[in-house]
Amino acid sequence: MVIDLDKCVGCQACTTACKNENNVPYGSPEEQRLRRDIYWNKVIAVTNGKYPRVNTELIPMPCMHCDHAPCVTVCPAKATYRREDGIIVQDFRRCIGCKYCIVACPYGARSFNSKEQEEEEYHRHDLPPDRNVWGQWPFPTRTHGVVEKCTFCFHRIDQGIKEGKKIGKEVVPACVEDCPANARIFGDLDDTRSDVSRLLSSRKWIRLREELDTKPKVYYLLK
Amino acid sequence: MREFQMGLAFSKIDGKSREFYLLLILLSIFTIIGFICFMVSYISGHHVLGSSSIIPWGMPITITIYLIGLSAGSLIISSLTYVFGKEEYRPIARLAVFLAIILIFGAMIGIALDLGRPEKSWRLFMFFVLNNMRSMFALNGILYGGYFLIGMVYLGAIFAEKYKFIKMMGEIAIFWAALVHMGTGAIFGFIATRPIFFSPIKPFEFLAAAMVSGLALLMIAVVAIFKFTKRNLNKDIIFSLSRLLRVLIIVLAVIVLVDKLTHLYSPHREPTLWLLTGPYSWIFWLLQVGFAYIFPILILFHPQYNKALKGVMTAAFLVVIGIFGERFSLVIPGTAYPLPFYPGKIEGIWGMAGSFPITPVESFMSLGIFTLMGLLFLVGLKNLELLPVDDIGQQPSEIAKKT
Repeated sequence: MVIDLDKCVGCQACTTACKNENNVPYGSPEEQRLRRDIYWNKVIAVTNGKYPRVNTELIPMPCMHCDHAPCVTVCPAKATYRREDGIIVQDFRRCIGCKYCIVACPYGARSFNSKEQEEEEYHRHDLPPDRNVWGQWPFPTRTHGVVEKCTFCFHRIDQGIKEGKKIGKEVVPACVEDCPANARIFGDLDDTRSDVSRLLSSRKWIRLREELDTKPKVYYLLK
Repeated sequence: MREFQMGLAFSKIDGKSREFYLLLILLSIFTIIGFICFMVSYISGHHVLGSSSIIPWGMPITITIYLIGLSAGSLIISSLTYVFGKEEYRPIARLAVFLAIILIFGAMIGIALDLGRPEKSWRLFMFFVLNNMRSMFALNGILYGGYFLIGMVYLGAIFAEKYKFIKMMGEIAIFWAALVHMGTGAIFGFIATRPIFFSPIKPFEFLAAAMVSGLALLMIAVVAIFKFTKRNLNKDIIFSLSRLLRVLIIVLAVIVLVDKLTHLYSPHREPTLWLLTGPYSWIFWLLQVGFAYIFPILILFHPQYNKALKGVMTAAFLVVIGIFGERFSLVIPGTAYPLPFYPGKIEGIWGMAGSFPITPVESFMSLGIFTLMGLLFLVGLKNLELLPVDDIGQQPSEIAKKT
């Protein structure tokens, strides 16, 4: 995924789109205060300088799906693993909830879910993941007591591949689809003809926290 | 002399007095309350605990690493007799091994209480099959499980009085105990993301802390039990152990000093300064540095206090509390410091340090771990021959809790 910081307006549409798509609870102010609300995608504001010379940058942060993912290394139960296409997914059936991955993740991409599926917030039948619609989801339902994170909407990608659609053009993750500024571009980094490869070769880009050598697959195009 | 010591007789305690049963009932009540609190946290979710997505590890993990340290330290001390042949410590060696087993059991309970899905904790023990063996946590599963088994066999060998086998088991046990606590240190020390954790000497710091706290707890347990069972205690044992404690505290303090000094240099300077001066600094300075290092060293080097049982006991108490402070000031501030996602000042909630509220459910759950161990310890004293027979006036009637 490539995120164009020049285009991002910080509207948080990606955050809400992700919550809708993946049935992530919205959280209450109380949970927000105690830092227990679940974010699969977040937008942070970073300031540099002092008033009146301040520069604010808005950084949308999904899971970075690192090539050298610390969360995969530390997970004792193989609950977090790297798929063949490079997406890091979390298997809720295997997860024992030890939270070691939250400690190890350098991007704060992981949240611990202590709520049960039955709670009122989850009664939204119109929402995926519905296995009849999306095919086999690798865990039965969202469940409490486990750690969760962004999946790059792999249910969409898997379904798209099955139907022979073009990934990155016709099928994209929910946050990419909903971005009003088209700041997010999704595609295959290995494919030299994809949009992401074209952008990365023509623009100056950074990856977050390069010093940790996690090799994230989310690239940021600078302003 | 050696022959006599070899044949040192051990006995159970009577455990028929009213106080003993009162204590048992009291501990049982708190254990049951702890269990109820655990069920509450399991059924209604971990939001009743103090941990959050920012500080994922709370009290249970703090207690767990603390107990593992106490256990490893206690087992290593027991090897003074069985491996190095220091006969003067034989009266307390059985107690040390038994204490180690109880403490590692408590530690494993502590891990289970912290898991979001404790019913899946069997997955931690599916070595090489379902486990990711690159994870320090999974490796520690082998270490803890093996440690528990080795401790049991070791204690069994001691009861059976097979001296050659005891020596062999003792050697394995001392090696394994060191490995266990260094492995626990590695859980924290290998996490590059968290600047306060990340340190190659963390395993050694943990090992030193384990020996300090284990020795101090053993001293307290021995004095308390011998006093309440009216056994005659050779005070030289305690004083020679206190000299050992003195050395170990200095070793630990030097390791911590080196650790913090290296962290005061770039790139970990900011988080370390935050630890030393921020909202959690009182835990570091008062509990860790004060209680665990400075006050005990002052007491143990004082010309009068270090020859008085009360002085030595005070030092041991301070150490046991202080090492808990050391664990706390590692686990909670280590994750509370906000992650630097992007250069600059992160505004809003993502740039704030996490806070850790002390909740009643978590407190009683944590207390329950300790009372459960106390219960097991008392039952063990009553049913196993752990204490030496006193040749002067044997009146084993009352028993107090171990700390």
